[in-house]
Amino acid sequence: MNKPTGSEIRVASPLKAWASRFALLLLVGAAFGLMLIGRTNSFIVEETRTAVTDMVTPILDAVSQPVETFSGVIDQAEALANLRSENLALKEQNTRLLEWQAVARRLEAENAALRSLNRMVPDPAMSYVTARVVGDPGGAFVRTVLINAGERNGVEKGQAAITADGLAGRIAEVGKRSARVLLLTDINSRVPVVVGDARDRGVLAGDNTNAPELLYLGPTAKVQVGDRVTTSGHGGVFPPGLPIGVVAGVGEKGIRVKPFVDWAHMEVLRIVDYEMTGILDFEAQVGAARAAAAAGNAQ
Amino acid sequence: MRQEEGVWHRLDVVARSISPFFVTLLLVLFALLPLHIADLSPIVPALALIGVFFWSVHRPDLMPIWAVFLIGLVQDVLTGGVIGPGIIGLLVAHALVVWQHRFFLAASFAVIWFAFMLVAAAALAVTWLLTSIAMMTLLDPGPVFFQYLVTLAFYPCLAWAFLRGQRLFQR
Repeated sequence: MNKPTGSEIRVASPLKAWASRFALLLLVGAAFGLMLIGRTNSFIVEETRTAVTDMVTPILDAVSQPVETFSGVIDQAEALANLRSENLALKEQNTRLLEWQAVARRLEAENAALRSLNRMVPDPAMSYVTARVVGDPGGAFVRTVLINAGERNGVEKGQAAITADGLAGRIAEVGKRSARVLLLTDINSRVPVVVGDARDRGVLAGDNTNAPELLYLGPTAKVQVGDRVTTSGHGGVFPPGLPIGVVAGVGEKGIRVKPFVDWAHMEVLRIVDYEMTGILDFEAQVGAARAAAAAGNAQ
Repeated sequence: MRQEEGVWHRLDVVARSISPFFVTLLLVLFALLPLHIADLSPIVPALALIGVFFWSVHRPDLMPIWAVFLIGLVQDVLTGGVIGPGIIGLLVAHALVVWQHRFFLAASFAVIWFAFMLVAAAALAVTWLLTSIAMMTLLDPGPVFFQYLVTLAFYPCLAWAFLRGQRLFQR
């Protein structure tokens, strides 16, 4: 095709200019319309989003594998350089962990005995789906990743996504063969947690930075740097006791938590199927509670 | 000219005329790939913006406004944020280029890069503002600014690749 010359891209006729201005206004208006629909009727937006994500995921899945291999080669070279010092550190860690293993075994036995004494309700069983991270939109506004497992693999909305280090996020949208994980650090993420040995309850709220903030701690809570933060299990979405991170800073910017998850090397996520009713049945639960309250008032 | 040649010629023309649209869509997908590089993810360059700007400047006939809208829509749907602000950002960039198209006719590469600096600033600022409004919180402008700088740095590399591709096509 010929490249248009200067004379070809001449000033368009007034009618044409008017039409192009109209098209701009129309499309900007349409974009605003989409923004409004997204706020008022998130169901349609979510359906569209999962449909498009489902289409794209196989492509991403195929392309991301060589990328992963390449970054794997770099990592291996780095690991090779640190082999000796890492080996020493691991040996030391191994002896320490063996001691802990003995402690854990003893506690497990004791725990089981006490549970049976008290007839405690057993925790629901957990099963896992393991999926590869195939998409990471990045950017300044969201902290989410796409995984190559969806409805047909048993992934459901609200389930916890974990790595070997700890909690990474929760499933926010599910398609047929893909799902979107809302990371702990996303501005929309809220996770009920307990902090430290005192097990003070709070909520871990993301704000798109690498260190989410601890909110709604009780007035008596004493939080120190280095305290462990784990999921509390409140709300029934996440199993209790999943490690999240440690308190990294207590100061003017609020109480900040450094997650255990290594975001740069998050290649595989395990999706925890914790068989319990969570936010999925939230509306049903609220409905039941209201009905119960109404019945109570009527009496 | 024989009939067969006519068909191939027409197919060729169609392929060339939709390639900017598809290349920019591919850039949207490419930006989604997990690169596993520490701390890069928050400041991944706005590749779609580069594509839209480049073709709005060099081949406005092949980057019509509806194509810009579709690219923005796909990008916003796939990134998982609010749908809309990204589209409007790209539309703003396109409109600014079209509005000043006479300026770009004789401009050198450095001048176009400088213009991209201004246009990208406007587009990302609009996106940031609208996302903040939609989420009803003031989002930290820091990451957006870094994303802006990275996008500026990426522009020459991509523009060079696009120009090479265009020349290859025109042979």
